[in-house]
Amino acid sequence: MKFYYFHLMPYPMEHDEPSSWVTLSNRHYDPEVGHTLYNQYLDQFEHAERLGWDGVCVNEHHQNCYGTMPSPNIMAAMLARRTTRARIAVLGNGLPLRENPLRIAEEIAMLDVVSGGRIISGFVRGIGPEYYSVGVNPTHSRDRFYEAAELILRAWTEDGPFPFDGRFYRYHWVNPWPRPLQRPHPPVWCPSQGSTETVEWAAKRRFPYLMVFTPISRIAQIYAEYREACERFGYTASPYQLTVNLPIVVAENDAKARKIAQENALWVYHTGLRIPIPFWQPPGYLSEGSFRRAMTSRPKLPTELTFEDLEEGGYIIVGSPATVRDRLRVFSDELKAGIVCSGMPAGTHEATLDMMEMFAREVMPHFREDAHVDETAGVGR
Amino acid sequence: MNDSPVTVPAERRLSVRGTPIHMRSAGNGPALLYLHGAGAGGRWLTFQERLAERFTVHAPTHPGHAGSPAAEWIEHISDLAFHYLDLLDEQGLERVHLVGASFGGWIAAEMATMASHRLASLVLIDPVGIKVDGWIYPFLFAMDLPQIVSTVFHNPMAALALAPRDLSSVDGLVEIHRERAALARVAWNPYLYDPLLRRRLGRIAAPTLLCWGEHDRLAPLACAEAWAQEIPGATLRTFADSGHAPHIEEPDAVAAAVVEFCRAREGAR
Repeated sequence: MKFYYFHLMPYPMEHDEPSSWVTLSNRHYDPEVGHTLYNQYLDQFEHAERLGWDGVCVNEHHQNCYGTMPSPNIMAAMLARRTTRARIAVLGNGLPLRENPLRIAEEIAMLDVVSGGRIISGFVRGIGPEYYSVGVNPTHSRDRFYEAAELILRAWTEDGPFPFDGRFYRYHWVNPWPRPLQRPHPPVWCPSQGSTETVEWAAKRRFPYLMVFTPISRIAQIYAEYREACERFGYTASPYQLTVNLPIVVAENDAKARKIAQENALWVYHTGLRIPIPFWQPPGYLSEGSFRRAMTSRPKLPTELTFEDLEEGGYIIVGSPATVRDRLRVFSDELKAGIVCSGMPAGTHEATLDMMEMFAREVMPHFREDAHVDETAGVGR
Repeated sequence: MNDSPVTVPAERRLSVRGTPIHMRSAGNGPALLYLHGAGAGGRWLTFQERLAERFTVHAPTHPGHAGSPAAEWIEHISDLAFHYLDLLDEQGLERVHLVGASFGGWIAAEMATMASHRLASLVLIDPVGIKVDGWIYPFLFAMDLPQIVSTVFHNPMAALALAPRDLSSVDGLVEIHRERAALARVAWNPYLYDPLLRRRLGRIAAPTLLCWGEHDRLAPLACAEAWAQEIPGATLRTFADSGHAPHIEEPDAVAAAVVEFCRAREGAR
């Protein structure tokens, strides 16, 4: 199994506002605190590489205290120079949110060339509230996503210049310098919440599928759909096409781990993802079929989840090294997920570094049968 | 509100240049096309009933609204205006009184800039659709239902007229999802206006009545003044006990004003 260190770069704070996104006033953001946080978070990424993590993951979100990386490519740029081995996964750029997606092709290519071909390029649509922050019409979200993805992939793989005349994006000359170092292009991943259309789209292109903050029962269901789609497209999915993203809290014993998790892991769900329903559901963001499916299964809102829901539902892994190993086996052996992206909500910076060390020492080595396998070979392109 | 019984005419399914919609028609007299506001499609209320006493009222449902299927080809408000000009052609309605409320008023105003000669008169009830300096329409897409009701209605109880929709079933939620998407396709950004429309309002040659709720919090009276200024010879009538939907809050008074205005224009032909 491959391990990627994931960070939201939150601005951890408590507040009584109805939303942590879009409308939570940025007067709450203290840049002096932000300076410390950003640098601690970047230190944690560098620590992850030293401890043996295979990759580090950054991501794009706008106007919230949940994750303060409106430009993931800027964070990836810093990591490209401060790491030497780990893959840098941008999970991802919000393609439909850009007016000029060619800029993504350019920036990812820059990162890939500087990093010596270590970039993984996530393509995402952005979550609901992003459309309230950016102003892009959510009814165009899916079509803009497909069109921008096609444009970027062609820009990376075809010799320029060529014209592109789409519904949303039009250029007389597509000809970005530089070209990416990895051939034919950096691996593309699709972090998603399981919409039928995205599963099909990703499976068809061998793009790894990443389930973010999802209960294990739903992960199993979506993986099955993805695998089935891959078979229909004439191939068998590699384990490295199936990635899970969940927080892990490890400590000397279960009781201590649970205490740490109760204090730190709930914040993301109860505060970070406190989002009013209209922001979750911008009009037309989901197709009618996906919306119907979501309303039929009615998953709990993050703010409704109790700690027991998180633990029992498999949203997070909490426990002693032995317990964490057992829980991870469910993902590696039963779900056959090849990659785990996880952050470690330990509380302080120092506690996080310690927890990462314990994980690297007592958990990771038990999952290294595939240490010499390149997880990006043949997938993501 | 008037509580005399309303006889709801049967809903017909038609195809307008291949786009399927639902439409209710009833009444006697000259033809009147009524374009509903967002969230009010498919309903036949006291207002329509009163108009039907003097006119043959045709009340279609916008694509994607109230059970009419979504139409993927609609990308701009002018697409809806052409859609209704197509409907007039296909129904053989050479000349109509055109009445539109809120979002329907926006579509009606776009139609009037294109084809005033098809209109015996134009009635706009608290329309949206133009940019008014110093005013930003409250963003309904970010609101939950109670917030929407308190923004749109002066008397929140009036919203009950639009209530009988099943909020508990998946089908009911999907219908709302479809309707929000249909509105957002043409109204998300710029929100509730067409930057090109305001200058074009000067083209409207049909006699025009503006009806406005004095307590409109979505498009306040300052908006009414802008419309009255741009449409040549427009008459403005305000309604003291209404918010954004006077035809729902004071249906008898608004219907009486519309009937009086339109009948006078019939006589003048």
